[in-house]
Amino acid sequence: MSFTEWIFLLGGLAVVGPLIAHLLAKPRYRRLPFTMLRFLQSGQIESQSRRKLRDLLILLLRCVIIVLIAMLFARPLLHVRFKPSQSKSVYCLGLDNSMSMTYSDRRGSYFDTMKDRAIDYIRSAENNALFNIYVMASGDWMQSMGKEQALAEVKALKIEPGNANVEGFLSGLSRISRAEHKNDEVSVLVLSDFTPNTFRQFVNITEPIAAERIDYDSIVSPQPINNAAIVDAHVVGVVDGKLTINTAVVNYGQIEQNRRLTARTGANQSDPVDINLSPNQRKNYQLKIDTGTIGQQPSVLPVELNLSDGDGLRADDTFYLAVSVPGHKDVNILLTGDSERRLFLLKTALDTLSRTSSYDALRVKQVLMSELAPSDLEWADVIVSSTITEHMGNLVPEIENFIKAGGRFVCFVTEAIVPDAAKILWQRDILAALPGRCIQERTYIQPKPYNSKVSGVDHNAERSLSNYRIDKILIKGRFECQQHPDAQLIWQFRDGSDFIYLKRLGNGTSFLINTSVDDSLGSLTKSNASVAFCQYFLGEIHQIDRHCFTCDEQIMLPLFGRELPDSGKKQIWVETCDGRNRRASVADSSLLVPDPAGIGWVKTLGKPTICTGVNLPQGETDMTKPVASELAGVMDRVFKASAEQTVSEAEVFHDRIRRPLWKIFAWIIILLLLAEPAIANRLKR
Amino acid sequence: MRQSRKYLDPVFLSKLGNMDLVARCAVEGFFAGLHPSPFHGFSVEYSDHREYHAGDELKFVDWKVFGRSDKLYIKQFQQETNTTAYILLDSSKSMSFAGDGKVSKMDYGSYLAAALSYLMLSQSDSTALILFADRVTKHIPPRSKRTHLNIILTALQYNRPAGQTNLAGVLHTIAETTKRRGIVILISDLLDDEADIFQGLAHLKFLKHDVIVFHTMDHQEVNLDYEGLIQFEDLETKARMQVFPQSLREGYRQRVTEFLDEIEKTTGNSGIDYCLLDTSEPLDRALVAYLSKRKRMM
Repeated sequence: MSFTEWIFLLGGLAVVGPLIAHLLAKPRYRRLPFTMLRFLQSGQIESQSRRKLRDLLILLLRCVIIVLIAMLFARPLLHVRFKPSQSKSVYCLGLDNSMSMTYSDRRGSYFDTMKDRAIDYIRSAENNALFNIYVMASGDWMQSMGKEQALAEVKALKIEPGNANVEGFLSGLSRISRAEHKNDEVSVLVLSDFTPNTFRQFVNITEPIAAERIDYDSIVSPQPINNAAIVDAHVVGVVDGKLTINTAVVNYGQIEQNRRLTARTGANQSDPVDINLSPNQRKNYQLKIDTGTIGQQPSVLPVELNLSDGDGLRADDTFYLAVSVPGHKDVNILLTGDSERRLFLLKTALDTLSRTSSYDALRVKQVLMSELAPSDLEWADVIVSSTITEHMGNLVPEIENFIKAGGRFVCFVTEAIVPDAAKILWQRDILAALPGRCIQERTYIQPKPYNSKVSGVDHNAERSLSNYRIDKILIKGRFECQQHPDAQLIWQFRDGSDFIYLKRLGNGTSFLINTSVDDSLGSLTKSNASVAFCQYFLGEIHQIDRHCFTCDEQIMLPLFGRELPDSGKKQIWVETCDGRNRRASVADSSLLVPDPAGIGWVKTLGKPTICTGVNLPQGETDMTKPVASELAGVMDRVFKASAEQTVSEAEVFHDRIRRPLWKIFAWIIILLLLAEPAIANRLKR
Repeated sequence: MRQSRKYLDPVFLSKLGNMDLVARCAVEGFFAGLHPSPFHGFSVEYSDHREYHAGDELKFVDWKVFGRSDKLYIKQFQQETNTTAYILLDSSKSMSFAGDGKVSKMDYGSYLAAALSYLMLSQSDSTALILFADRVTKHIPPRSKRTHLNIILTALQYNRPAGQTNLAGVLHTIAETTKRRGIVILISDLLDDEADIFQGLAHLKFLKHDVIVFHTMDHQEVNLDYEGLIQFEDLETKARMQVFPQSLREGYRQRVTEFLDEIEKTTGNSGIDYCLLDTSEPLDRALVAYLSKRKRMM
């Protein structure tokens, strides 16, 4: 036996404590008068010797506990003669059942080849050997199987969508070789196509794994790889009822690809696009597909992008892309103020926004405040006012009705506001704050809103504003405002004064922005941030979006345009890629699907159907063959023969192994500590 | 009955304080539980008549009265002094032991001596009291007058345990100094050499005395019901001993039982009445033992 931390053995000197206590301690006794001492006399000698024995035994017990604790801290190791003849043969097989293994050439698929080799390997093993099989894409260990069971499991293996999980295999292997079968002969077999994604995982392994025998087989076709894959697709927009999709296609093989690319949604199909890709070439192709009439209601279109037949891996020839199309919506913006010149910068920003907006049509109309008529208010969805004029005070009922009906009223300030009109608007709950004294002090806007969770503004635009460095925009002056009791402050200046107020009135919203639309009070609308700022107060603008995931990602279905049948419902049934119905949980505005069960479509049951596409992870489409010498080098580094390993728990020296004894010591100490009071009490009798 | 037995309880008697009251309570409490007939001696001097009750001896039936009245009457006689009782009370230090702290062997012996004295003098027996330890410390000669009771009770009341036991020597001394034979009542814990004790008792027996030994022992002396580590100190020799009583209890009880059996056997062989008394028990066992002895003498 040896000790790793022998210094702790000095702790054993603590036995001096109980020894001294034993020597110095005097028994506590009662004094009693008695008469018949002669009858006690003969038994007394026996009693005294027994008491001494008892004291010695208790002392010995306590000393043993102290010494054992000291030895426990010193981490004892027991030297045991290693007998190889007693060890069992344990085989650990890492079998790659990821989608890339479906690649087929003239000889058959990689997966079938892998199964045949695994079966041959198992059959060649001893009859009493144990088998542990790790299925890399599933991430499942099947452990301690006999030969027949292992053969049956290999025969029953199926392809799983998803990447091969090399780390899971190696960590399980490490556990088996170090703990469960540390005295057995562990042999390892890895069967995989070693796609770049899988190979990279082996390269990233830093701690070597110990095993007696290492076998690996790179299952690749001897012929040149023939594979092209659709790796990504983006929606450009809808123009004249045609959905435009940019599709990225990569030739991962060694053969030139001349194929056709098509898109299909429902009965509509795009015109085929001929693709021509040399090896390892990537190109983007644009497909246009008729979507029919886009209605007022939002919808989700399932679009399948297909490459015509012709390569070894068919799973990556189809790309599943769901496109969310919001309902058609025009936004009428009425710009009003005391002069056209003052509104010029803001109008320019809104015009820019209307051009960049993907779907919503923004129509901007400019009317002088003095010419503002009730009919203009009826036309507008959004009113942006550069100031508060006297005429505005006359239109209070109309403005109030406009907001209550769902309109959006945005009011900037200038030095020329009419305080009486402002007060009337404030009193009628239209203005979110009442501007008072004008303060000509320079300040800057805070980089982020005071209240970032407020609804009614565009939070994407809010994030954009920080990119435009809104905090660097100089504000030359501001008004001292009195906040309406029902309003909320959503943004501040850097000096702590108020920048933007928001107030709800009926179904609509009223903003008061404490700066001017021209550069008289600040440079906001003169800066690059003006477009994003306009988008911020116009609220969220619906855009065409795409919804597709890879099968190893968390699948989220947008609840876009779909009313939940029961607001309290936490789960909704969805159909997953394997055609089975599963429950998906509702989280915010999405449905979380726990397992897509393959590649294809995940869609909600019932109308309107919402779907999302599930595709292969990118690593599974890249079929580039590994370089044999690199693979050999990496495998030699990852798997070390057990004689060379650095073992933390059990170290091997020549024909002896050192086994840690701390568990035994700990249990003995616990038992002795439990038994000590019982023994002491028993001996006192 | 239960109410009367209260007066025989040593703990109750210890609370009375007055030895005269102790003696009266003990004896009258005892008789109240025995029989409805008052106790009378059987002598030649006529005392009274009473109705015949089943169990009375026919020889005491007054047949003349029966002839006249056709009713059965028993003739009763005034009791006379017809014996001398020597009460020997051990007053050594070991008699002061009280295991439970309530009634010591000395107290118990004193109550018993008082009760017996009261009983004897009410029967007009001459009663002597001898207090002793390693020698006789007090000797009250036998008298039969009722006033003699006060002398005995006063001596008992002021008696204090002291000195070591020398029972054998005392018994020889008493045997040599008593001129008239009678009943010798020994109240002691007999903590002396057994052989010497038996020799002393044999000496008394040789002189034709009727001997009753009341062996008073405390409950703890018999059972050793102590727990934990205890240092015992001998009341007489002051010797000390540290022991765990629980570990010695079994052997101790066995040795005490052997000791008591030996005494009982030896006294029985010598025709000596032996009565082992536990100080936690009432006095009636002792009084019954005395009366049965007294009756056999008559």
